[in-house]
Amino acid sequence: MRKGEKIVLCGPSGSGKSTLIRCINRLEAIEQGSIVVNGHRLDDSIKAIDVVRQDVGMVFQSFNLFPHMTVLQNCMLAPIRARRIGKTEAEATARKYLERVRIGDQAEKYPAQLSGGQQQRVAIARALCMQPKVMLFDEPTSALDPEMVKEVLDTMIGLANDGMTMICVTHEMGFARQVADRVIFMAEGQIIEEGEPEAFFRNPQHARTRQFLGEILAHH
Amino acid sequence: MTPHFGLPEFGFLLRGLQWTVLLTLVAFAGGCTAGLAVALLRTCGHKGVEWATRIYIGIFQGTPLLLQLFVVYYGLALTGLKLDAFVAVAIGFTVNASAFLGEIWRGAIEAVPRGQTEAAMALGLHYSSRMRDIVLPQAIRISLPATIGYLVQLIKGTSLAAIVGFIELARAGQIVSNQTFQPLLVFGVVGAMYFILCWPLSWWGSRMEARLALASQR
Repeated sequence: MRKGEKIVLCGPSGSGKSTLIRCINRLEAIEQGSIVVNGHRLDDSIKAIDVVRQDVGMVFQSFNLFPHMTVLQNCMLAPIRARRIGKTEAEATARKYLERVRIGDQAEKYPAQLSGGQQQRVAIARALCMQPKVMLFDEPTSALDPEMVKEVLDTMIGLANDGMTMICVTHEMGFARQVADRVIFMAEGQIIEEGEPEAFFRNPQHARTRQFLGEILAHH
Repeated sequence: MTPHFGLPEFGFLLRGLQWTVLLTLVAFAGGCTAGLAVALLRTCGHKGVEWATRIYIGIFQGTPLLLQLFVVYYGLALTGLKLDAFVAVAIGFTVNASAFLGEIWRGAIEAVPRGQTEAAMALGLHYSSRMRDIVLPQAIRISLPATIGYLVQLIKGTSLAAIVGFIELARAGQIVSNQTFQPLLVFGVVGAMYFILCWPLSWWGSRMEARLALASQR
């Protein structure tokens, strides 16, 4: 994967998309093969895992904001604890990214006081505060009410336009068309097909891909 | 002649109450500290350590507290370690409390959603920060009703200390009752004292529980 590249991973549930991206920051152990992030090989040593996690930001389907902390505290914790930067600097960074996901005015609230879409945007800002080299998105809009999907996708599109390197597990094919450099289709733990979005959507090579696209695009 | 229950007797009960409160505080503080260690070891992810703590908890939950107090007081005396009655029961209650609180908090730690730990790991937070900043603050809230419930049990349970000759509230009541031959009155007062200690805690505990239930509905 190149710097600045945007990859969209799709496929039926249970096909291993989430497992794949969870391996990249070692939330899931690797059985075979190897992963290199920004020149660092990911092995089982705590140091390697540490180095890689500093460079990799992640956004989860279920937000996973820390409920006992305010939005601002959610964003400040990791930079202070893991990057060891000062409180004032951490707050300035947090406010900058909260502004960027257009939620700066909610900084003092607790996650439970926000809508799902707002919570997911906070989660994106929280990951950005660590200034990652690559962002992983694990079905970021799947747990959202339909009317909130757009605000999160818009945030992600903004991030993509700013040149962030991204891997997104998502079924939002409009998003894939708009920002992806490559779309990868997985089923039963295997990569079945990959290609540029235009070719991928217009002319899928494999029957399994066609069947999948047919199923999810039927509703659009 | 037989003394009647008066101010001196009431003062004697109050001193017993003092010892009950002191013993409870020492045992609870000690039990919290050791119990936190037990809970952390019990959830550390290392199979051997988890089993060892499981056995520790099993032993202290599976044998009578009375027996444990005997072992500390008389057993340690046999090895040449003669302990003051207060120190002995304080040790006994602390160790016992560490097993019960450790198990309560183990459950609470495991009740914090897995996603919280995953998000913390993904942000590059280490074990100490994950526990201190993310998991424990939430686990403590979850465990608060059960912890308060255990504290109430502990207050009443300290009456067992009488068995090794330690004069706390219940034992003081027994002494006064034997002197005055007014058991109903004396034990009535003793009961009221326990009640004044325990009831507000129980009330606070159930209020916490209601608030937590409300919070988890949202």
